[in-house]
Amino acid sequence: MTVRTTAPPELAVTDVTVRFAGLTALDAVSFTVAPGSVHALIGPNGAGKSTCFNVLSGLCRPATGTVRLGDADLTRLAPHRIAALGVARTFQNIVTTQGTVADNLMLGRHALSRAGFAASALRLPQARREQRTHLDRAREIAELTGLAAHFDRPVALLSYGDRKRVEFARALCLEPSVLLLDEPVAGMNAAERARTVEVVHAVRAELGLSVVLVEHDMGLVMRLADEVTVLDFGRAIAHGTPDEVRRDPEVLRAYLGTGSETEEDAA
Amino acid sequence: MSDRLSGIRTGTPRLWWTLAVVTVLCALPFYLDAFWLRIGLFSMAAAVGAVGLGLLSGTAGQLSLGHAFFLAVGAYGYVWLAGEPGPGLPTAVAAVLAVLLAGAAGGLFSPVAGRVRGVYLGVATLALVFLGHHVLLTADSVTGGFNGRSVPPLELGGFSFSADSELTVLGVPFGAEERLWYLGLALFALTWFTARGLLRGRPGRALVALRDSETAAAVMGVDVSRYRSAAFVVSSMYAGLAGVMIALSFRRVVPDYFGLVLSVDYLAMIVIGGLGSVAGATAGAVFVTALPLLMTRYADQLPLVAAPGTTGGTVGPTEAARYLYGAAIVLILLFAPDGLHGLVRRLRARLRRRSAPPPTAATSPTPSPAPAARTKEPTP
Repeated sequence: MTVRTTAPPELAVTDVTVRFAGLTALDAVSFTVAPGSVHALIGPNGAGKSTCFNVLSGLCRPATGTVRLGDADLTRLAPHRIAALGVARTFQNIVTTQGTVADNLMLGRHALSRAGFAASALRLPQARREQRTHLDRAREIAELTGLAAHFDRPVALLSYGDRKRVEFARALCLEPSVLLLDEPVAGMNAAERARTVEVVHAVRAELGLSVVLVEHDMGLVMRLADEVTVLDFGRAIAHGTPDEVRRDPEVLRAYLGTGSETEEDAA
Repeated sequence: MSDRLSGIRTGTPRLWWTLAVVTVLCALPFYLDAFWLRIGLFSMAAAVGAVGLGLLSGTAGQLSLGHAFFLAVGAYGYVWLAGEPGPGLPTAVAAVLAVLLAGAAGGLFSPVAGRVRGVYLGVATLALVFLGHHVLLTADSVTGGFNGRSVPPLELGGFSFSADSELTVLGVPFGAEERLWYLGLALFALTWFTARGLLRGRPGRALVALRDSETAAAVMGVDVSRYRSAAFVVSSMYAGLAGVMIALSFRRVVPDYFGLVLSVDYLAMIVIGGLGSVAGATAGAVFVTALPLLMTRYADQLPLVAAPGTTGGTVGPTEAARYLYGAAIVLILLFAPDGLHGLVRRLRARLRRRSAPPPTAATSPTPSPAPAARTKEPTP
């Protein structure tokens, strides 16, 4: 297993603004993900968390502001270039492709492998060798994420929790330095949640990557995150450790409302 | 499924099957007459084209109605490059160049293919067919106009794939059909080999991702528009090869053959066969190609079908074949949406389940946390 020897570069989001036809989805949002940390993005529905992920992964271009990973400017790069620089993500709703778990994980190796149309069509030795090497690594990652038993099974036959894990493992297959997890435990039961938390801990310890996490499960956020950024209506209203954020009056107001609007309990 | 990626074949039975099929295919010219061989030739050509379209529409999910155009580029490219009027190149060179020409035509279209998707791409490619047909009719000096051109027979190292010279193998006279049969087999084998290599390799996975979710493909590092164009180019090259094979088998190319109906036929092939599989595309191609020819031949023995040439209230053989495969498409879409290929796979799975002993504790040596979901132990 290749373990990164150097710390991952810092991911810095500076003054990012995204507008969708008059709606400001993100309003001058800035935060920095320290190398090797778990950084949670939380906020009520519609706060701009997913938009923020889309900016980070290049699916959405900000009107202003920059996203930098170490020395590289990600702001105007196409998604596949950002992926090649080591930013991998999962989706809130599972997005897997047809085929086995192995096929999906091998898709994660796409940016790291070279075999093109001609080499694959002619099954040149180097293409086959490359495929074998990457398949071995994909298998290791499947083991790490608890998918080893399902490696050769079609994804369509897996349970919801396992499919979510396939997405997670596929993102890991990119050997990312920054991993973006969009609601990794949404819709999971307690046991599956606990297992996912374990896996996130394990990959962080083993692969030494930074994790950016969007999650509604506050318990999980408090357990996993080193730092939390709270978004509300597209603005970053608070930063800090989970404990600091929990006590922040702004955050309480955003989540619980003020005065009479206290019915909604987000936690 | 595991053998697909790991490259481990399911042992010797598969090898024996392959050998048996190859032997039978190679032996056929000694037993079949020209009629059957011609059906085989057209089927092989169609299979090559269908594999190409399957790659584009089945695997990468890009609807193309322009396949006939690229078939025409291959066919006419060969005829022009090898013939008079034309550069009169050696025929083998002309054949290779015709395939590349079809690829280049696909490449020229790639700015469109890279950006437009789904139904819109289908309509855009539709334009190609009409454009191509018009050019074939009007560019007389290259295409021979309405009457088309005769196809110079392929010559490979002094060996001519035509009946020009006498050739007798094991007491069987080898005419054009017999010789072309082996050429067709070789080209089809090449198509099969390369297409499966593509599908099981990195490009194939990227194309599947493109079809299932462009967003996921992009964030996994797939250059979406590049791959979309590449799929188009590769598919066009297979179409070009099919075009050359069709030209050689027909010995004459005419514009009316390369119309929209041909494109639709190819779509029917891949749908009937099962999208996204090489074997499926082949089966669909044989079905769609052979059916009308067989029905024409045996029209007098079929109820409700008129013999060719007669008029009356009954259905002509060509129409009957159309009805039949129209019905086949509907039936397949209803009952086997994954096509003939999926049908065979399910049958095989059922047979295996029936022949396998009932799943008891004895059959799974290691206790697994999810025994119900396990079909196969992971290889360490």
